[in-house]
Amino acid sequence: MNSYYAANLLVYAGVDIIALLALNLQFGVSGIVNFSFIVFQAVGAYAAAILSMPPDYAQGYDFQVYVGGYQLPFPIPWLGGAVAGGLLAIPVGLVVLRKLRSDYQAIALLVLSIITNEVITNARPFLNGAAGLALVPPPFSDVIDPNTETYQYFYVAMTAICVVLVFVVVNRIVNSPYGRSLRAMRERELAAMAIGKNPVQLKMTVFIVGGVIAGLSGAILVGFIQLWAPSVWLYPETIILFAAIIVGGRGNNVGAILGALLVPVGFEEVTRFIPSSFGPPGLIPALQWVAIGLLIIGFLWFRPEGVRPEPRHVFEGAPVREDLEDARAT
Amino acid sequence: MDLYVAAFGFGLVGMSVIAIAAVGFTMQFGITNMINLAYGEVMISSAYVAYYVNKAGVTIWVGMIAGALFGAVFSFLLNRFVYAPFQRKGTSHIGMVIVSLAVSLMIANLLLPIVGYYSVSYQDTTGGLLRAGGIVLTTNQIAIIGVAVVLMLLIHGLLRYTRLGKAMRATAANPTLARNCGIPTQRVIDAVWLITGALCGLAGVVAAMNSDSFAISNGAGFLITALAAAVLGGAGQPYGAMIGAVIIGLVTELSAAAWAPEYKEVVAFGILVLVMVLRPQGLLAKRGALAAAG
Repeated sequence: MNSYYAANLLVYAGVDIIALLALNLQFGVSGIVNFSFIVFQAVGAYAAAILSMPPDYAQGYDFQVYVGGYQLPFPIPWLGGAVAGGLLAIPVGLVVLRKLRSDYQAIALLVLSIITNEVITNARPFLNGAAGLALVPPPFSDVIDPNTETYQYFYVAMTAICVVLVFVVVNRIVNSPYGRSLRAMRERELAAMAIGKNPVQLKMTVFIVGGVIAGLSGAILVGFIQLWAPSVWLYPETIILFAAIIVGGRGNNVGAILGALLVPVGFEEVTRFIPSSFGPPGLIPALQWVAIGLLIIGFLWFRPEGVRPEPRHVFEGAPVREDLEDARAT
Repeated sequence: MDLYVAAFGFGLVGMSVIAIAAVGFTMQFGITNMINLAYGEVMISSAYVAYYVNKAGVTIWVGMIAGALFGAVFSFLLNRFVYAPFQRKGTSHIGMVIVSLAVSLMIANLLLPIVGYYSVSYQDTTGGLLRAGGIVLTTNQIAIIGVAVVLMLLIHGLLRYTRLGKAMRATAANPTLARNCGIPTQRVIDAVWLITGALCGLAGVVAAMNSDSFAISNGAGFLITALAAAVLGGAGQPYGAMIGAVIIGLVTELSAAAWAPEYKEVVAFGILVLVMVLRPQGLLAKRGALAAAG
């Protein structure tokens, strides 16, 4: 097997896992239906790109127009991407998460995703419009030649470190008392409020943490593929991620990883083996989207809890519902 | 100044298109409790049905009726075979939103291989120009305004003066109580999907007529403007949606004249955000987008 292909696959898998851990924290654990998730990834990618690129009048870059261009060394673009994701989450969260009913939150975020993409596409001087940014310098490209096999695996290793880091952080949040508050809010907001939890505060925190992680995933991706354009973050991309969460198991971090491997990665790989000459042009990608839709509807109908359902958090010795029902029956 | 007068004329047409779409959307939500995010895609499918009818050499006005019929049947089937079973299963509000988004994705991508990526437009004379004090509109655009006015009056009549309308309002207010009073809510809901589906189909054809050309990708834009008008007026409120359509239609066209036409939907979105921040319940509704008390 071609090592470039393998590295490519592994980096994509890593980025999807990071993104899905964040989305699982928001949607799976806390019940925030963040339909503009991909925007946070995109912001991270754009931030990382303009932090690492030279200014747009530099030689070789003057065919595109964009703001910034700071040529900063490695960890800064990735950190910048993460910070950008978190910063975007603050105003969005303040508008969307404070007063609105949960289904309106979902709609508002969906519309935000569509509109943001439209604005970036049309406002060319800002981030080069529809053509997007190209020739984003990969991290350490001045030290190691990015076009070598070593570099490819180096990138995979850096991605893997981030995956582990994010997994540990998200797992800590989910399994802590704080995670319990989040689940309580998801299950019954009013009851959570009654025991003194502030749902707006909880939601805002999760939204920002998720935004940070999403921004990081975008920064990692853009360093690897070296370009970023509005066409790679259209709103249906968020739906793929939701499909992955639903398939993997809502609220289960292992399920989120499984979902990443099954849906975004698995789908790309399976359809790679279908000859592209099959049917009229564009048929295969279109059918891929139809399959994503069917996957969501099928799972919600037949197995809404997903492949790896969320573990039930029960205290040892505490009476669970079945026991109580048994006791009542006898 | 002339520019703004002309833009006001286009605003009249724009609000007519949005009103038809938004009233259908808001009635679906208000009576069946279903936020149907596939609405924009049903609109665009109906526009394509009218396109093929029109291409066969029939006038676009017949195509419009075909589009409305298609929208009605399609929406009805969508509810019967997808939404209603999920609702019966007890899927949460959020689950329904995700289902409808998945449906929207599927419709768009099933349609794509059939109709292609390219923009198309109706082959029909746009009619002569009519001028009235700076406002210049084609006879087709005048006809669109006429269609919208007639439809709004019909909806008003339906909701106020017919048994079906009364049953609809009862179902919207409290479905369980309505059923206990002997209203066949199932049949009322079927009727709602047929009527709102027809409005959706008609709106799709009219919106396609009003833009120079259209493609599958326009579905999302159609949805956004309808949503903005519906939320502005107060979700589930047909009269609110009419008011919302008037405001959104005028503001978007005037902003297109003053600023840049490609940002029309951005302006609609700006209004949506303002409403959600300042008055989440919308202009008319008591609760609307506000979080339920319990």
